[in-house]
Amino acid sequence: MATLHSSSCLLFTSPTSTHHPPPSLSPTSRLSLYSASTSTSASSHSFSLSISPSFLTRPKSSRRLSLSSFKVKAIAADKKKVLIVNTNSGGHAVIGFYFAKELLGSGHEVTIMTVGEESSDKMKKPPFNRFSEIVGAGGKTVWGDPTEIGKVLEGVTFDVVLDNNGKDLDAVRPVADWAKSSGVKQFLFISSAGIYKSTEEPPHVEGDVVKADAGHVGVEKYISEIFSSWASFRPQYMTGSGNNKDCEEWFFDRIVRGRPVPIPGSGMQLTNISHVRDLSSMLTLAVENSSAASGNIFNCVSDRAVTLDGMAKLCAKAAGLPVEIVHYDPKAVGVDAKKAFPFRNMHFYAEPRAAKDILGWQPSTNLPEDLKERYEEYVKIGRDKKPMKFEVDDKILESLKVPVAV
Amino acid sequence: MARLVLHHKQPSFSLLPASSLSDFHATRFTSTSFQYKRKVWQPKGGLRVTALSSKKILIMGGTRFIGLFLSRLLVKEGHEVTLFTRGKAPITQQLPGETDTDYADFSSKILHLKGDRKDYDFVKTSLSARGFDVVYDINGREAEEVEPILDALPKLEQYIYCSSAGVYLKSDLLPHFETDAVDPKSRHKGKLETESLLESRDVNYTSIRPVYIYGPLNYNPVEEWFFHRLKAGRPIPIPNSGIQITQLGHVKDLATAFIKVLGNEKASKQVFNISGDKYVTFAGLAKACAKAAGFPEPEIIHYNPKEFDFGKKKAFPFRDQHFFASVDKAKSVLGWKPEFDLVGGLADSYNLDFGRGTFRKEADFFTDDMILGKSLVLT
Repeated sequence: MATLHSSSCLLFTSPTSTHHPPPSLSPTSRLSLYSASTSTSASSHSFSLSISPSFLTRPKSSRRLSLSSFKVKAIAADKKKVLIVNTNSGGHAVIGFYFAKELLGSGHEVTIMTVGEESSDKMKKPPFNRFSEIVGAGGKTVWGDPTEIGKVLEGVTFDVVLDNNGKDLDAVRPVADWAKSSGVKQFLFISSAGIYKSTEEPPHVEGDVVKADAGHVGVEKYISEIFSSWASFRPQYMTGSGNNKDCEEWFFDRIVRGRPVPIPGSGMQLTNISHVRDLSSMLTLAVENSSAASGNIFNCVSDRAVTLDGMAKLCAKAAGLPVEIVHYDPKAVGVDAKKAFPFRNMHFYAEPRAAKDILGWQPSTNLPEDLKERYEEYVKIGRDKKPMKFEVDDKILESLKVPVAV
Repeated sequence: MARLVLHHKQPSFSLLPASSLSDFHATRFTSTSFQYKRKVWQPKGGLRVTALSSKKILIMGGTRFIGLFLSRLLVKEGHEVTLFTRGKAPITQQLPGETDTDYADFSSKILHLKGDRKDYDFVKTSLSARGFDVVYDINGREAEEVEPILDALPKLEQYIYCSSAGVYLKSDLLPHFETDAVDPKSRHKGKLETESLLESRDVNYTSIRPVYIYGPLNYNPVEEWFFHRLKAGRPIPIPNSGIQITQLGHVKDLATAFIKVLGNEKASKQVFNISGDKYVTFAGLAKACAKAAGFPEPEIIHYNPKEFDFGKKKAFPFRDQHFFASVDKAKSVLGWKPEFDLVGGLADSYNLDFGRGTFRKEADFFTDDMILGKSLVLT
């Protein structure tokens, strides 16, 4: 079960929490400052300069916080009404699922609006086929078209909206405009680390140049203009139960069948594969520390990258099986790199520096351990026994038997 | 004893101007990616640190590279600094770009204790006779070298050790964090054993793990290796794919980190990775060197090292693997941050050293010619 990262619990060790915090400071924001400072061995004063001026001038009625309660629920003294507009397919679909459950676990109100129709075939796949978990936790699920969001959610108001659907302004504008007009205070957007311009000086850090024509860039610009409290999250690849898109499964499929794993290029390419619970915890921190998060871009990834070869090896280790890695040049073989392999054939490596610095967030992804769990589920659902074809693989392996002319 | 009362300035965190809030490209996160400017690092004006009472400081080594910059910073802060060296190299040398006045001032203040650190009896007696508050161990390699120092100085306030990120166990999961597994069999195991000794002796120690250090007066041919080839108009031979990722840290940023940990409670019994804020691929580094020095973009030749027997010669200055470490801990705990970006730092090195006609090792293109010779045969 996704929970808020433990650094938030350290809020209660701050002496100011026993009494009313100074009225001139928003309690959630101020305490998040100290939670940031007590995570790992960060020094408190090093964060004081990075918080926006606005947080200091926003008075909030002081609240009594129980020192004895370390429960996550008590932190969210500010209960929020959150709307998640969720894509109905693809790698990002699972983000909304985890985020909804984590928010509900923290005592917030959650509605998740999935694009399309409840009766569509897409809803038979994870995470949608597990939406009863959201309902069971007190959340609401609706379906609809984002361009008609006003009708779908008629009469309902929210404090926070997360758009986990649109890849360009055409898709997001209707949601953003409706949110603005209906008084939504905080607008969050799931963007993509894919918009960073490729570099020979990794990693991608927040503030680095992005591809100007990327759809997500247009969205980030727009929401920054119309919302005073906004944040954008740029994820990469995810692993986790309920994923709508294959990640580690691609490796398991081959390893468990004793097939070679064809990896394009040198296999040294680095990428970020994060457990989706980390994305969820980052988003939740942003909701609960909205003034700290405001106006920022966050790379929504864990703080470790893995090589492509390394991922194959870790999957094999998780399965307790050997692996044979074969490298190839997609162009030379004549295959479409995107269809042949689930990850980009290049360094694709971002670090979550803003989240660590500004939100005091810490990742928990531990690929070696997480992949063991993933493998258990892989076997449990019987996918290891499922008959499969590997046409592209076969083409690659066939071509590699041909001697390469010097 | 001289003591300086200095302005407290936190160079590492600065608020972006309010106008930047409306620019969605800018974030409130103070990333050094904004600061791609050439920095002129001056010990006199550019660095202000919290006032610390003057200490009696011993530097083991200190006559070349890191020590040159570190010793100047310490003297400027008003500490009494002694260099322990065999006296083989001159105790002081004027740095390129250093004014005569500054150099004279520094030379007049720096002290020298002549001896061989491997002569443990001498180390023990000479150090205990003088007494020191703080030791910076810049050239220590083996744990046994540290013991006589600790024995001689029971009231030592802090032992600051220059270790190495080379101690990390090679991994497919990167970057290296200070908590990562270390390799007891690595070439740098002496450094590891030294860290363990310091931990076990219950002394207040701080260990710094740099990655590849670069900057003016580097005696390890890192940037110099590229500059020689660029100057000669030769292609740059890079092993395998060239996408291996490494990391360079400017010597002046390293010196600043060494200052940051001095007398710092938060550094007590802590290990810190210190290097550049961003990493770089081998191919990217070749291009960055060219850019910094004003050469045209180089031709890069890739080769398979397994096809050659280079004997004892090194065909490339970096280990043929990914090798980089996160400096997040130093940034968040110490408030340190690297001032130099890669191209800026390489330019600093070029302008103050190689570009003036100085270097440590003569150009040697023997292995290059082996590689290029073979490539010619193939085409």
